[in-house]
Amino acid sequence: MRLGMVIDLYKCIGCRTCAVVCKQVNSQPPGTWWNRVFTPGSQHHQVAPRQTGRLKMSFLPVSCQMCDNPACERVCPVGATYTDEQGVVLVDLERCIGCRYCMSACPYGVRQFNWEDPKQAKEKAGYAKGYTYGYPFPQRDKKGRLVYTPNRPKGITEKCTFCVQYTSKGELPMCVQACPAGARHFGDLDDPNSTVGRLIRERETIRLLEELGTSPKVYYLSPNKPE
Amino acid sequence: MVKGGFKLTRRRFLQGAAAGGLMAGTGIFYRGKQGTAWSQEELRPKEVKFVRSVCSPNCTSACGIKAMVVDGQIKTLTPTNDYPEPEYGPRGCLRGLSFLNLMYGPDRLEKPMIRVGERGKGEFREVTWEEALDYTAEKLKEVAAKYGPDSIGFSFQVGGTGHVQKGAWIALSTMAGWTLLHPYDLNGDLPMFFPQTFGVQTEELEPIEWLNSRYTAVFGSNVMVTRLIDADLLNQSRVKGAKLVVFDPVYSATAAKADEWIRLKPSGDAALALCMARVIIEEELYDRDFIITYTDLPLLIRLDNGKRLKAEDVTGLSKPDIPDYREAYVAYNGEFLTVHPEQLDLPLNVKLFGQWEAPLKDGTTVPVKTAFQLLQEQLKEITPDYVEEETGVSWDTAVRLAREMAAAKPLHVIYGASNYQWYHGDLKGRALSLLPVLTGNIGKPGAGISTYAGQYRVRMDVKDWWFPATPKWTPWLYFLHGPTKEMVAPYPKNGLKGFVFGWHNPFDQHNMANRLREMAGNGELEFIVAMDFQRTTSCDWADVVFPAAGWYEKTELVTTPLHPYMQLQQPAVAPLGERKSELWMAREIAKRLDPGFEAHFFPGNDEQTAAEKAVDLILRTGGPPTAGITLERLKKGPVRMWSEGPNNRQVPFYEQFAHKKPFPPLSRPAALPATAQFVKSGRIEFYKDEDPFLRLGEELPVHKPPFAESEYRLLPEAKGKYTFAYITRNSLYRVHSTHSNNIWMNELEDGKAKVFLNPDDAAAKGIKEGDLVEVYNARGLVKGYAVLDPGMSRQMIVFEQGWWARYLKDTSYNSLTYPFIKPTHEVYFVPGMWAPNTAWNECLVDVRKAGEAV
Ligand code: SF4
Repeated sequence: MRLGMVIDLYKCIGCRTCAVVCKQVNSQPPGTWWNRVFTPGSQHHQVAPRQTGRLKMSFLPVSCQMCDNPACERVCPVGATYTDEQGVVLVDLERCIGCRYCMSACPYGVRQFNWEDPKQAKEKAGYAKGYTYGYPFPQRDKKGRLVYTPNRPKGITEKCTFCVQYTSKGELPMCVQACPAGARHFGDLDDPNSTVGRLIRERETIRLLEELGTSPKVYYLSPNKPE
Repeated sequence: MVKGGFKLTRRRFLQGAAAGGLMAGTGIFYRGKQGTAWSQEELRPKEVKFVRSVCSPNCTSACGIKAMVVDGQIKTLTPTNDYPEPEYGPRGCLRGLSFLNLMYGPDRLEKPMIRVGERGKGEFREVTWEEALDYTAEKLKEVAAKYGPDSIGFSFQVGGTGHVQKGAWIALSTMAGWTLLHPYDLNGDLPMFFPQTFGVQTEELEPIEWLNSRYTAVFGSNVMVTRLIDADLLNQSRVKGAKLVVFDPVYSATAAKADEWIRLKPSGDAALALCMARVIIEEELYDRDFIITYTDLPLLIRLDNGKRLKAEDVTGLSKPDIPDYREAYVAYNGEFLTVHPEQLDLPLNVKLFGQWEAPLKDGTTVPVKTAFQLLQEQLKEITPDYVEEETGVSWDTAVRLAREMAAAKPLHVIYGASNYQWYHGDLKGRALSLLPVLTGNIGKPGAGISTYAGQYRVRMDVKDWWFPATPKWTPWLYFLHGPTKEMVAPYPKNGLKGFVFGWHNPFDQHNMANRLREMAGNGELEFIVAMDFQRTTSCDWADVVFPAAGWYEKTELVTTPLHPYMQLQQPAVAPLGERKSELWMAREIAKRLDPGFEAHFFPGNDEQTAAEKAVDLILRTGGPPTAGITLERLKKGPVRMWSEGPNNRQVPFYEQFAHKKPFPPLSRPAALPATAQFVKSGRIEFYKDEDPFLRLGEELPVHKPPFAESEYRLLPEAKGKYTFAYITRNSLYRVHSTHSNNIWMNELEDGKAKVFLNPDDAAAKGIKEGDLVEVYNARGLVKGYAVLDPGMSRQMIVFEQGWWARYLKDTSYNSLTYPFIKPTHEVYFVPGMWAPNTAWNECLVDVRKAGEAV
């Protein structure tokens, strides 16, 4: 079993709902975004790139690419970053020492660092005293490693977990549940009958920075209308 | 690299990524100790519950949202997917799902406040409810005694967003004799061509029907942003073989998703639509039987006075027994025929073209032509040169698209609000209506014309809760502009002296020509009451501020014109601290004004119970639309209301088309006679013979260039001095002004209000990417940061509306706009249905680099 995601860029309307719901349910403090949506080639989202010829614009959501060959995992000096039995790249939050080698190694720039205590950061932003948002319960893997908790401490690294707190209960990652455009598919890439298995077999896909040999498990379908 | 030319090079990916600050700096940081305490603290047992509520900020999507409540706090808001049609799920967007930022954010109001400093400065003292309510009631009584109760205006937001809490204040206003300001025209969302052409407030095709369209022509609507929840249905319709064409001066996200984007000059839509109508008529691509049966185009027009020929004036014809709001006109098929306004069928040999002499009962004759003949003659003026000049679209392209549209059935036209919020927005709508009407695309699945702006519609009878006494209304624009000579709407004899508002931010959103702030500043408004769940910038202008319960803290009944689901906002948590629901506030003020008033508001019940009783009352007295709907059913999830179309789908004018019922269908809460007078013939009307239309040369749809009858008339020297059209569109990150202060939304746009302009225009003005610029005219000024957008047409500025003044260096973006009133909007007055509509985009400005650097 290799869990993966297929994002259909024809369907993606660039609305950033996935980024926001991700931030919310994963309790990300101000300034932290595990998931972002870009307009490739453009400095401003939903503004066409300046180029010669006909105007063109598409949108690109980017979160952890869940590489089969993850650069972050290789550089982690304490084995905090690991790949679980379903192929999901996770961070053992209790083991992370905050060296941020993984952040330099990751070619997608998706890892985020807790420069300050997230509770303090939230209070500073002006949320009601003592209030924090996000899925409220910690999540441990089968071996007891802490892979999600609402307020991560200062000084550790974090990123997308494919919503381990939901998927472990049989729910879809929240970006998949929430995508109003139906652009996101999630499932077992090894299962030819799964939606993701079928899409990568039948449709042409690309993966980001494939030439680096990272072998991501996040696939993208072309923004052009399918034939 | 994939076939079809999609590639994402490393460089291109990094460009996008770097722009978003994704490649944050790297350094080394060692955390001193292994954390354990932090990872254990969340383990204690907690009480968890889930509550289904509804997001209802007047974006019209009315999304069900699931709140996860733990120990009395909402922890997550996640989408719902419980609509019977899976196509409508999931619902909940970036704004609705980040509402926690507002609910638990820094701007929540906690306590009632009374102003101590100057208006607009935001200096208040916190007071008890008792003091706030007593003070407010006393002041309102004073204003009423001095100037009459109708000198107190109540301004609110559109009813569909919440019938119970808003209804409480509407009810109080009617009992107290105050003047109501209708939010639909206040917002500029009333598309005046709808009452003029179809006799209704507005009608819209529900989005699931987009899947049945074969051709969707979008004129100036950014569906992918403003209807993002349902936008996927347009993408899907293309996969099913439909064509999507976007006509817009801006290359928007919607244009990017279309088969074709046609760059149109701002407000050039009517010229283009008339050109296409000309092609459809000349090439006989129209649906003859449809036109004869459902429209006024076969009716005869008198050439002596431009009026329609009435049956009662013609020798041998008589007026049938019809209600006062109808009129019987005449058609010709070799003989003159009475056209009964309540029977759509006409002999199909009725002439669409021709001129005759009609014998009148006074012994004279009068030359007459069909309205269709007049239209055809008028369309001859729409020449290739004229079209290219007025629209920027080549004649060949226009002809090709006209043929395509006529051939593809069903055709659906989406005409966006930003496009009709112009002085001649009504004319553009009438011209665009020709496309679906001439081709017989009305009343059928996947067909028609829709505007999709505002949660205005009242879908059921609400009289028992809203109108315990007769309401008094006046249109908002008269409040800003002052009464006009042609005004038929009532206006309080001493003007408005007291101003009570809730659910909106009028001192930013409706401060046209800075009038509202001036009236508050110079004391013309003697008393101002604000109620809101947040301390908006408008609260700063009030004398008293009431802290309201927000969504997820109260009970409210929600509908939308977009989709026919009725839903319930349910309290997930109790209102924190001293916040109260608006119903409670209305009841408290009511009993202080007159002890007799209180009975209407379910006295003796706590605020939630009272609200549930109000829901129940509306359901019981709502008429056919609420038959069988109960509070209990609504507590479980969305309930689909009855619609007239096939498969219970909301297909506008289906009953007119299929059952030949006369136009218009009912627009609640108006009674049929009030709106049927708009289309006295009982048909779709393109020929308007009321005097203002004739005087202005607008009896038929025509193209008139922007600014000539508005800006240049108001200030002749504006011509040549202010040459940029100033367009305020909706932002992805806000619903109007709601979410202006949302922490996450501001992170997503770097906390900066943006001024979008074409790179060549920017170069000519010496403006560079990211510069702080000032957009200004003789009336006002707004500041923002320049975005050089190659998708913008020349000589236009786009500013995204909704920003609170505090994000604009305390400037007000509506200080630039002006409350123009068009005489054709004053022919009748039915609140929110035929009333002067705000033309936000009829505004000329110039732009310059501001003094300070970024
Ligand atoms: S803002 Fe509108 S689209 Fe977004 S969740 Fe709320 S109702 Fe839905």
